Amino acid sequence: MAGSGWKWARGRGAKQLPLILCLVIAVATAIAGRAQASIFDRARAALSDWTAPALSGLKAPLTTVQNWIAGFGSVFTVYSENAELKRENTELHKWQQVALSLEDRLRSYQQLLNAVPDEKTHFITARVIGESSRPFVKTMILNAGSTEQVAKGQAVVNERGLLGRIYVSGQTTSWVILLTDLNSRVPVVIEPSHRRAILVGDNTPSPQLELDVGDGPVKSGDRVLTTGDGGLLPPDVPVGLVNGNGDGARVALFASPSSADAVNILDYRVPDLPQAAELLPATSTQQTSSAKPAVPVAVPAPPAPRIAPRAPDTADIPEEQDR
Amino acid sequence: MTERGSLFFIMASPVRLFGTMMPVLVALLLVIIANLPISFTGGLLPAPALALVAIYFWGLNRPRLMPPFAVLAIGLAEDLLSGGPPGLWATGFLAAYILVDRQRKTFTELNGAGTLIAFTGAMLLASGAAYLLASAIYLRFVPLPPLLLESVLTVLLYPLLDRPMNWADRSITRLLRNTG
Repeated sequence: MAGSGWKWARGRGAKQLPLILCLVIAVATAIAGRAQASIFDRARAALSDWTAPALSGLKAPLTTVQNWIAGFGSVFTVYSENAELKRENTELHKWQQVALSLEDRLRSYQQLLNAVPDEKTHFITARVIGESSRPFVKTMILNAGSTEQVAKGQAVVNERGLLGRIYVSGQTTSWVILLTDLNSRVPVVIEPSHRRAILVGDNTPSPQLELDVGDGPVKSGDRVLTTGDGGLLPPDVPVGLVNGNGDGARVALFASPSSADAVNILDYRVPDLPQAAELLPATSTQQTSSAKPAVPVAVPAPPAPRIAPRAPDTADIPEEQDR
Repeated sequence: MTERGSLFFIMASPVRLFGTMMPVLVALLLVIIANLPISFTGGLLPAPALALVAIYFWGLNRPRLMPPFAVLAIGLAEDLLSGGPPGLWATGFLAAYILVDRQRKTFTELNGAGTLIAFTGAMLLASGAAYLLASAIYLRFVPLPPLLLESVLTVLLYPLLDRPMNWADRSITRLLRNTG
């Protein structure tokens, strides 16, 4: 292809100026956008606020079609699935009894120790009205915004576990940065070893673990929970199971964004720290629910800290705060 | 006709203005369609960069109706609606536009599979520029497979969009001829 057409230097002088200028503007926007994304974020929030009714209208029939297609596929496996569910149900009944007795025992220990009672985490239920899966971003759009006291940084969960965090909050809509997103950094703890780690999203379905504090072994099947470090996310929210060993192991997430229809936004507040929503203009109603929760979410109540939470530092604060 | 005279001529007729803006409007429509926050595959496949098809087509055939500033605006719209960092696709689209601008003579003579190969080159250049810029912004190499998947999807959709683009182009020709 080395013909006369493949000439890269034509020397068209001034005619090339707009092209070069545009390229410079685009690159400068990318660099400036990383440093200060608020203008773009505000524009996004305004746009999603404006298009929210249309998105809600579009989402409903599509969800029906998706459910229908998914249901059609399962017709052929319904018998084996039913048998599996019966077996699981029997096993879960056994575990329910164990959990109830342990809960009882924990309560009595707490009474004996005169422990500070756990605080309830308030939540707002919102419906997913959109999702975006692009090479550089994985997000969801919810139909609740600052009017419902949704604020940047709040955790978003469904009945299975943590999905992500709010990163843009408009008046009536908000954008969620998913755990799988390239920008997601969430401090987590691995059980039973109690190793601390940062869960790093890389746009693959299973985010990676960057081990941080502690020296216990980390192996496949270990549970991953949020730590609550920095006071941004509530502690003990289930995240997933470790898949692999040691540093660089991946996490199979409990909550799948593709199956999330209604989600809960946790209004977590650490004592002595101002709540994120309080920093916003107070124009909203308390505890508004814009959609019925699909399944009541058992929100783990955060244990009251006996010492003041650590001041957030760059090592354990997820990067998306500054997005 | 001078540039100023031609601008006045375009502004004087709404129909002509519409015809002149049609390529950009079609590209913006494709941005909206590609970024409808609804996934038909449950998030399994990324949305294609449909706007690049319009940029390539009119950047090649009618560069006056698809100037660099329009490409920048389309790229920024793509960035805004996709939820990603601003400027990434604007840079990518401009990189592809530069290729088209430089190789217009060669690309115009192509047809059939040749056109598809040329578009694949433009798509890869756009993706490559966006990839490099994203890696520079995030200070690490971002995963390549989702971007490659998006590129493949876009290239596969090009033949489907080529016919409507030709139809829109003929409409533009008619509009401009009837008003001019």
